Amino acid sequence: MKKVLKKSKGGEKTDRSHVRDRIPQEKAKQSSEISQPEKNIQPLAALIFITGESPMVEQYAEICAGHGYHVCVSWNETPAKKPEFLSSNIIISGTMPARTSVAIELTNIDLPAKRKNLTKFDSTLPETAPILSSSVTVSATEQSSWISGKHRLVGIAALPSLIERPLVEVASTIYSPKETIEVVSRFFSTLGKGIEIVQDRIGMVMPRILCQIINEAAFVITEDIAALQDIDKALKHGARFPLGPIEWAERIGLRQVHAVLTALYTDLQEERYRVAPLLKQMAITDVWWTHETP
Amino acid sequence: MFKHLGIVGAGTIGTGIAQLAALSNIDVQLFDVNETILRRSLERIKADLRKAVNQGRLAPEELPGIMEHIRTRTNLSDLGNCDCIIESVVEDIRVKKDLFKHLEAHTKSTAVLASTTSSLSITSIAALTRNPERVVGTHFIHPVDSSETVEVVRGHKTNDETVDRITTFISQLGKTAILVQDSPGFIISRVSHPYFSEALRILGEHIADAEQIDRITKTIGGFPEGPFETMDRMGIDAVFAVAQSLFDQSCGETRFRPHHVLKTMMESGLLGKKSGKGFYTYEETP
Repeated sequence: MKKVLKKSKGGEKTDRSHVRDRIPQEKAKQSSEISQPEKNIQPLAALIFITGESPMVEQYAEICAGHGYHVCVSWNETPAKKPEFLSSNIIISGTMPARTSVAIELTNIDLPAKRKNLTKFDSTLPETAPILSSSVTVSATEQSSWISGKHRLVGIAALPSLIERPLVEVASTIYSPKETIEVVSRFFSTLGKGIEIVQDRIGMVMPRILCQIINEAAFVITEDIAALQDIDKALKHGARFPLGPIEWAERIGLRQVHAVLTALYTDLQEERYRVAPLLKQMAITDVWWTHETP
Repeated sequence: MFKHLGIVGAGTIGTGIAQLAALSNIDVQLFDVNETILRRSLERIKADLRKAVNQGRLAPEELPGIMEHIRTRTNLSDLGNCDCIIESVVEDIRVKKDLFKHLEAHTKSTAVLASTTSSLSITSIAALTRNPERVVGTHFIHPVDSSETVEVVRGHKTNDETVDRITTFISQLGKTAILVQDSPGFIISRVSHPYFSEALRILGEHIADAEQIDRITKTIGGFPEGPFETMDRMGIDAVFAVAQSLFDQSCGETRFRPHHVLKTMMESGLLGKKSGKGFYTYEETP
């Protein structure tokens, strides 16, 4: 006798009728559907404008350019070391070109800068151009309240390195019509990625889970329970994690992790999201400390 | 190096350790109060070794010799000659404390006494023994044969000699020992806890459903198994027990509080794969 997995509505979580009460039916249906990347989709837009924080700007730029888009980038703060792009159709410019068809905002830490960027997008972009904006530290709904073109802003779960994966979490707002989601889905398809539509909440899914794992590792290090180098080993070989929490933090960046946890703590007002004091300290330097660090 | 190993509790972990030790030419006294469980344990080991023979990982002529290393026992005094006794019974502090007191009385004074607890305090387990310096934690992860690491947990009174001897033994089994101070959940149970607890909270807040969360963690995070698939495989009762233990051992640290969904599921018999239904439904096929 062999057991087979039959995916069902086990547990309490799949009754989404209360969700359908809040948002139109088609969005509720989207919430339980994954969009798969379509094959042989041609790039949609003439030019993508990407701004925000390093290294997400560079990572998104390379992926978009690598799939045939012309890309223009800028940063809230230009990186200390000028990035060397592999792709030749990436230009650096502080001004968004007039022919921009998709704007991507990748700020999680400096929220006043994020608001400034979105306001600029709103006043400059054509009305039909979508805005994809990272919504792990501020909800897409709140961001929409900053702009008049609310229908075109969609939240994405953007943290350094996550765009390298074949799936992107997307959060629609009550202002996002079906058409905006379809355009966003098509856009990510051209990058070889599917989308997973989740509810518009700070932290979304993967960033929230990862940052809490990293936070717990920081508490463990504070309490001197094990050697730093053993923590990743234990989780990878003992719990079959693909990366240890220290490795994850190095990929994402401690400042980003700190920003996500602080936003969760503020949003949910729960003690469980209290940032480990050591993590808060390490976020200042953006590196893990060891006992040898002066 | 241990030549004679005693194992108390012939459940999944105890059986796994017995098999591993026998493969390393260590004589094993496998103890349980229940003869049926002992018989099933031996059958499981034989089945696993036969599978290894079929897959070419073991020579068929080696099988009888390996099984010869394992003796089943129902009397604790039969462990008297063991260099090390590893306890793998139910995750209950009172049961373990009492057992260690009895083990001390029935085993030689130089034997290392180890517990496979995944979250209970080794210091507490050792509290009723006369020689707590020889009590240590050895958190083996399921499945024992393929997990590379073992957490070695030093209680407050565990001495260096005990740690050295158990670490050498773990190397003997082909595993890597990770030294951990006695604390709630050690490293693995504690740092992996948010993988499940945050997934449950995301589910409870209706941000995404279980299938989505599993899909996201596997496709974006690269995890081999989603949190809900893992909880179903481990058993909802086992997941709840570890979470409750973390919460109790930390004297109510809020981030370790078990999610009420687990309690409800457990109380209504939704235990995951072993009961046929958990977060997913599992059907037997002919």
